Amino acid sequence: MARKPTKDKLLSTLDDIEVLSRELIEMLALSRTQKLPQPGEDTDILELLVQRDREFQELMQTALEQGRVQQEMQALEKEVEKRDSDIQQLQKQLKEAEHILATAVYQAKEKLKSIEKARKGSISSEEIIKYAHRISASNAVCAPLNWVPGDPRRPYPTDLEMRSGILGNMSNMPTNGVNGHLPGDYVSLMFIFANVFLLSLLDILTPQYPWQSADVSMGILPPHHGNDFGLEPPGHNKENEDDVEAMSTDSSSSSSDSD
Amino acid sequence: AMAGVMETEEQARHRFQLELEFVQCLANPNYLNFLAQRGYLREKPFVNYLKYLLYWKEPEYAKFLKYPHCLHMLELLQYEHFRKELVNAQCAKFIDEQQILHWQHYSRKRTRLQQALVEQQQQQPQAPSHGNTTSK
Repeated sequence: MARKPTKDKLLSTLDDIEVLSRELIEMLALSRTQKLPQPGEDTDILELLVQRDREFQELMQTALEQGRVQQEMQALEKEVEKRDSDIQQLQKQLKEAEHILATAVYQAKEKLKSIEKARKGSISSEEIIKYAHRISASNAVCAPLNWVPGDPRRPYPTDLEMRSGILGNMSNMPTNGVNGHLPGDYVSLMFIFANVFLLSLLDILTPQYPWQSADVSMGILPPHHGNDFGLEPPGHNKENEDDVEAMSTDSSSSSSDSD
Repeated sequence: AMAGVMETEEQARHRFQLELEFVQCLANPNYLNFLAQRGYLREKPFVNYLKYLLYWKEPEYAKFLKYPHCLHMLELLQYEHFRKELVNAQCAKFIDEQQILHWQHYSRKRTRLQQALVEQQQQQPQAPSHGNTTSK
């Protein structure tokens, strides 16, 4: 509820006092020349005047009080402002700190990732050298120095080598034999891969080529696969047409040294 | 449906030998052409199998490969475009030729280096003749 502002009350009281004073003075002026028209009117006015004056004094006190309160309010508001800006400052610093920490954590994670990656890929130099010897000595990656066109040796297993291997001899085995418990589609798949052009010379006994024999005593096993390859494996296909130009046969990026 | 077969260790070892052989056969472009012409490279199970064979890239398996070219072929075989091209006999022949040329790269390089060394030695000045004590 809107109360009448102190200022208005003060002013209206002053107006009343002014009116009453004027009336009193008029009355006094008149009373010089003639008798009071109404007895007791002067005392009424005096009383009213005193009353108004009292009100005025009270209102002044109120006004003073209100002024003091107003000052306090302003002081408090200033405090609040200060606190507000302090809080904002802290907020900014907190945000900055969070950002820095987030960056640091992210970089640390990346570092850990690359450490893990490096650890995974670490191979003893001795093994690498052994392997390098192995593939070089057999001329698998580097042609023999006396190689001329007509030499049957190749950087891949030739027909003869393929025939002499397990795959080449698979059609001799009954499918219920050694492979009896492999998933059906897998057996037929391997059987197919043994393929027709190997079958013709299967009765020739040829020595085992080293490319087939792994050191079985090392106990390494192939990764297990539970399905029959008919199912879509999880993940994407390599239908990456962006790389088409690298794949095409007349690309000049194929490794060759034609001299 | 998952044909989740539990194979014995012996069977697993046998399968290891099979897959070792087979993955290395992929190094032979003529064999790839053979497979392509008979439509195997179009079969979804085969394509899935090729993806499965990528485990041979891991060091613990790769060390058994005598013909490392097969890994490159295996990677190429993951792309449908490559598989399609292999039907073409000329394409296979081209790959074969390039592969052999690449195979000869190091031998050629070594031969060149040796020749350069020989030429360099021939160009060096002759050793000073005996008995000549004058300084140069």
